[in-house]
Amino acid sequence: MSSFLISRRSLLQGAASALVLQGALLSALPSLAHAEDAPRGGRLIVAADSEPRNLNPAIVASNGVFFIASKVIEPLAEAALDGEGALAPRLATSWEGSEDGLSITFKLREGVTWHDGKPFTSADVAFSAMEVWKPLQNLGRIVFANLDAVETPDDHTAVFRFSAPTPIQLIRNALPVVTSVLPKHLYEGTEIANNPANSALVGTGPFKFAEYKPGEYYRLTRNDAYWGEGQPKLDEIIFRILPDRAAAASALEAGEIQLAAFSQVPLVDLERISKVPGLKVVTEGYEALTYQLVVEINHRNEILADLKVRQAIAHAIDKNFVVDTVFLGFAEAATGPVPQNAPEFYNPETPEYAFDIDKANALLDEAGHPRGADGTRFALRLLPAPFFSETRQFGDYLRQALAEIGIDVQIVANDTPAHLKAVYTDHDFDIAVGSPVFRGDPAISTTILVQSGIADGVPFSNQGGYANAELDAIIAEAAETVDTEARTALYNDFQRIVAEDLPLINVAEWGFTTVASTRVVNVGNNPRWAVSNWADTGLTP
Amino acid sequence: MRRFALRFLRSPEGMVGLVLLACLVAMALLAPFVFPRDPLSIVGRPLIAPFTDASLPLGTDRLGRDVLAGLMHGARASLLVGVFAALVAVAVGTVVGTVAGFAGGLIDEALMRVVDAFQVVPAFLLALAFVSVTGPSLPVIVFAVALGAWTGPARLARAEVLSIRERDYVAAARAIGMHPAEIAFKEVLPNALPPVLALVSVIVASAVLIEAALSFLNLGDPNIVTWGSMIAEGRNVLRTAPFLSIVPGFGLVLTVLGVYLFGEGLVEAMAHRRGRQ
Repeated sequence: MSSFLISRRSLLQGAASALVLQGALLSALPSLAHAEDAPRGGRLIVAADSEPRNLNPAIVASNGVFFIASKVIEPLAEAALDGEGALAPRLATSWEGSEDGLSITFKLREGVTWHDGKPFTSADVAFSAMEVWKPLQNLGRIVFANLDAVETPDDHTAVFRFSAPTPIQLIRNALPVVTSVLPKHLYEGTEIANNPANSALVGTGPFKFAEYKPGEYYRLTRNDAYWGEGQPKLDEIIFRILPDRAAAASALEAGEIQLAAFSQVPLVDLERISKVPGLKVVTEGYEALTYQLVVEINHRNEILADLKVRQAIAHAIDKNFVVDTVFLGFAEAATGPVPQNAPEFYNPETPEYAFDIDKANALLDEAGHPRGADGTRFALRLLPAPFFSETRQFGDYLRQALAEIGIDVQIVANDTPAHLKAVYTDHDFDIAVGSPVFRGDPAISTTILVQSGIADGVPFSNQGGYANAELDAIIAEAAETVDTEARTALYNDFQRIVAEDLPLINVAEWGFTTVASTRVVNVGNNPRWAVSNWADTGLTP
Repeated sequence: MRRFALRFLRSPEGMVGLVLLACLVAMALLAPFVFPRDPLSIVGRPLIAPFTDASLPLGTDRLGRDVLAGLMHGARASLLVGVFAALVAVAVGTVVGTVAGFAGGLIDEALMRVVDAFQVVPAFLLALAFVSVTGPSLPVIVFAVALGAWTGPARLARAEVLSIRERDYVAAARAIGMHPAEIAFKEVLPNALPPVLALVSVIVASAVLIEAALSFLNLGDPNIVTWGSMIAEGRNVLRTAPFLSIVPGFGLVLTVLGVYLFGEGLVEAMAHRRGRQ
């Protein structure tokens, strides 16, 4: 079966009968279904909490980079709030997979120019795919592992040829993240990883990269030659560097900045700040950037290798308490390895582990770990990830929750490099608190958490020594299943088995929040809003 | 000795310091009896304001942990770190100072350059670096604090020893053929000690503060409750629940104040005695 991009908007436009959408039709439409008409002009000042050294999103596909770079360098398609494909076209206008899963044809947008005036063609896409995404990019390495060649029959068609069947579903879900297109004429024949254009970006996006003052700001200016009609709205975007989270909240209140994304304003301040006149709290716009709070388990530990012990731990965690207290309600209790806001894959029929101390105690007794004289059964070392205050706080909670069922937990606190090394390279932990990201398709982000045979040192992967032949077989099969329904069914099984066998325990899933001045319009109107191009974002006077 | 104690008790600083310290020690000693449960355990709704619930007089923090239990158990951590860090620092410092001062020559030069090397690095940075490399736990923190504090006692002890070793009774000890090490540690060191002990209060106070600062930066032992970690936790909700930072903050202020005043009283009493001699 071939798949096509059909957004709800195109259906509403009465184009439902047309299976292949014409580029001309789509490019004439505003790219966002919920776009409000925003006024032209203005300078938006945004808080940025980090300064990535390499700003090239084609090499480093991470949110920290996208936050700034996505306004300058565009992908082939962007995530959209609704519609079957849940995609909005950017540099590609349509895509079509072959029946055998060995090729995908992209029709590219015409009349697009790079910020330096050169025309954008299929050669740029072919170059980016073969020279950058596949060999250099963190995620592209997985998605395009079987990419053999990219053919360019004309300037606006790119045909991706794969050596093994590659599911169109995977490619589609990965498009917004892995397909940032680079200008071939600036990168060809240079050392790509050290190209000066990695910091002074050149792209096709609505904003041009103007200036970077280390420790102070990034400045982006309007691209007058942008292909989107009437876009962008803003004249300028300044990313002001404010590493201190408390500073972002007070800068917003003082009117020094107009927007802070990625929960730069701490959750505990949201209630107060939502009452400040002139500021709004927006929780939309992170649907495709779901973080998952998980308990990682080292299966090399003989006690934890016993399923009953893992079940007992799952029963000892009060997920609602975690959601209400640690996340102050800005999260959802998790049921399995795929978050509920990924309806394409989410399987609600997985075994659940209700909060039940008695049952947890009974399971531990059954497993042969009676309480000792001091009330404890055994001791574990817990390494909470230091990435978020929530992951640390959940670590504190978990220690108490497990104390209730007689497990003596010692917390080992590390900074980020030491934590990554201890958990993912040295395996020097019993349980750990982790925060993987669900990136729209289980094959990109989730299977790696349970798959066996992953080399030591790969961060955010199964480093707990867990091996389950059945799961490995499903993962391998899904990787080559071209049919979307069959592939989705495989991932349903995957979720059930993960929830049954608990290679890790999913506790909660959370998105971020944006705090913005009420003057900023069109905030959070697509599922990757913070890392999308902001072409329709405007500032009312 | 009795006169010394009397003089100490008559100085107002010393008395206030003594009372504050006594309260602190009482808190630390009573903590496990008043709050036998782990002070980090969750006992109620999160963020109960102080003085609203009789069973939780100082309220609860963001996870619902008892602030009063934290305050009392936190006194133990502060006191332990302060006392042990001072003990280690004074022990190491006086030994090094005595050896340097008594041996003189090349050994003196070498030891004093080591002291200089430690002294040029701010004590807090030294502790920060040490803890972040070795990982936080209470013994490590004690050692980290002592690492930056032993140079003061070392220099002071050396200066004292330099003057004492010229005294007649030292010459006499030499004349009767005592071993130099015996002279250094039996005859010289005990007499060089009193001024060094005056430094103890300064070291304890700074140790308490350094421990709090380390905990504040999440470099404290995460398995025990400390005032620094309570302040760090409270900082996140500073605008909505300021008491979470203020309560342990008061604990810190009163402790450091108590230690300083106590030290002040001691020094004064000692100065009188010395003046008499």
